[in-house]
Amino acid sequence: MRNVRVARRYAMALMTAAGEQKALERTSKDLEAIAGVLNGSREFRVLVASPVVAAKRKSGVFKELFGSRINRETLDFVDLLLQKHREALLLDVIEQFNALRDEKLGIVTVGVTSAIECTPPQQKNLQTSLEQYTGKKVRMHFSLDKTIKGGLLVRIGDTVLDASITHQLEVLKTRFVHGMDV
Amino acid sequence: MAEVRPDEVSAILRRQLAGFEKEVDIYDVGTVLQVGDGVARVYGLSKALMSELVEFPHGVFGMVLNLEEDNVGCILFGESSEIKEGDTVKRTGRVASMPVGEQMLGRVVNPLGQPIDGRGPVHTDKIMPIERKALGVVERQPVKEPLQTGLKAVDGMIPIGRGQRELIIGDRQTGKTAVAIDAIINQKYTHTEKAKKDGVKPVYCIYVAVGQKSSTVAQVVDKLQQEGAMDYTTVVAATASDPAPLQFVAPYTGATLGEFFRDSGRHALVVYDDLSKQAQAYRQVSLLLRRPPGREAYPGDVFYLHSRLLERASKLSDALGGGSLTALPIIETQANDVSAYIPTNVISITDGQIYLESSMFNSGIRPAINVGISVSRVGGNAQIKAMKRVAGRLRLDLAQYRELEAFSRFGSDLDKATLAQLRRGSRLVELLKQGQFVPMPVEKQIVSIFTGTNGFLDEVPLEHVQRYEIEFLELMDLKHPDLLQEIVEKKDLTKEITEKLTAIAKEFTESFKASVKVSE
Repeated sequence: MRNVRVARRYAMALMTAAGEQKALERTSKDLEAIAGVLNGSREFRVLVASPVVAAKRKSGVFKELFGSRINRETLDFVDLLLQKHREALLLDVIEQFNALRDEKLGIVTVGVTSAIECTPPQQKNLQTSLEQYTGKKVRMHFSLDKTIKGGLLVRIGDTVLDASITHQLEVLKTRFVHGMDV
Repeated sequence: MAEVRPDEVSAILRRQLAGFEKEVDIYDVGTVLQVGDGVARVYGLSKALMSELVEFPHGVFGMVLNLEEDNVGCILFGESSEIKEGDTVKRTGRVASMPVGEQMLGRVVNPLGQPIDGRGPVHTDKIMPIERKALGVVERQPVKEPLQTGLKAVDGMIPIGRGQRELIIGDRQTGKTAVAIDAIINQKYTHTEKAKKDGVKPVYCIYVAVGQKSSTVAQVVDKLQQEGAMDYTTVVAATASDPAPLQFVAPYTGATLGEFFRDSGRHALVVYDDLSKQAQAYRQVSLLLRRPPGREAYPGDVFYLHSRLLERASKLSDALGGGSLTALPIIETQANDVSAYIPTNVISITDGQIYLESSMFNSGIRPAINVGISVSRVGGNAQIKAMKRVAGRLRLDLAQYRELEAFSRFGSDLDKATLAQLRRGSRLVELLKQGQFVPMPVEKQIVSIFTGTNGFLDEVPLEHVQRYEIEFLELMDLKHPDLLQEIVEKKDLTKEITEKLTAIAKEFTESFKASVKVSE
């Protein structure tokens, strides 16, 4: 099971600290950098997750890698995680932090799936209407999936706006099989 | 039947398609994190409500039971074998419901309302949620009409009224289901024209089988069909091979079916067979949802599980139609231990219990009802006056007999009064024995008990008592049906009726005694 609960607590703490110091943007960029390295290097991931290596040594590694590139506060946060032996959750914490930041800034990530590529004007159109629909800033994420046959599948958080042909066909089939009492 | 022509088919299809609006469907989703043993944990579903129905892939439905910070715990109403981690789960936006209506009568369904008797789909007009809040105090009125079970021991001494909850409790194989089935079969009379004339309203029955063997349920259905009882009965079956969530939910669906009749001013009887298995299914589901176990590993709210189910059985006030829902829950005890957790819970909820003992069953007293500790808290209000008159002494006589029963082993050398009581008691016990599937109408019960409590049996040898009863009732049927009818109409034993009965009984007893002497 994902450790959302624990990761969320740490993310909230970092969020509050960053908010006080008006350093949200900076912290966000720092975390992105860390996430980038973690995702890119398998060795680094293994090191961070390893229970054999002492926290002090991991802290040293972090300082060397990121010391010049990220802020003091972010480094301190990583040290805190190391102290509490929660460094394995680092990626989850970053994920939760991004989610919290989006919420704070009123940005919502929307995934749009279509059967064929959307043209730039279509994409722009979608963005505008979705921004109207959600009342927030929208970060679009486009993907292709031939199985929906046509139409669009828009996912906003947990809500799905299903305008795909596959779904329409399914509903039609149910209507035919069971009569109109669907 | 006229054949549908091919061009008609295309026309219909075209019409269907033309009327079909292309809409955007909006639903909330989640992802399955963990699934197994009938329980699934779902990530997402942030807007899910408690007890909401959610849809898994492959047409499996589930119900939300646990709302936690980062996931939702659902129970699955179907096989979890095709559901994988990562599958998408949809909210349906509605609570678990059951189709209800007269169309459900005569059918065998599962707790989802789907028929399992192979006779095609059930088309009902109404759907009601399975979890409903029971009515408040103002909407109810006290129980006052009898629900005749057809068993002399019950209708005489532990009478059940319409709207009451009476628990049937006992060890395994003591005849608990038999009592309930006899009660259902006896309601056949209430659906006849004669009953209407006599002022008896029809009772619709629902039999909920929880965790039983499918073969047992098949036998029950077969028997009900033979006796013509299926016409007014619905059977809801969640057998032992059904997933625990279905077994847990089955009694609630039965209550919903009954409430449909109750709320429309009619009367219904629902039998829960049995609630011990429902508690076990609920325990399984709760432990898998990681709810903390309490006494005997049952979850903390196992009392609420049964109390909210049984509170739905009630008699409505006249303003709401005067309908009623009577509940006959069944609990199985282990080694006659009524002080175990679940039995004590249900005893404290119901309005009385019928206690069946295996020792009585084994010594041939069937129904094996221990009248001493069986109770009906509605009592006399649920009996017609005639029965009250006749059965009033019955309980007392039997109680005194039981006190003295130990002495009967000593044989002779007892004073006259004691001997008389022993004679009377043993004959009453014989009289109260009854076969299975032969429920007796109330007027016959009254007449039969009349012979017992008025001493006509005292001179009949013990082994001939049952034959006496059979022949006496035959006599009443053949020669004095009008007297029986008078009892039904007047609902009381007036002086004249009593005199007539006494005369008939006296005459019959004489001739019977003579016939006994001849045969010896």
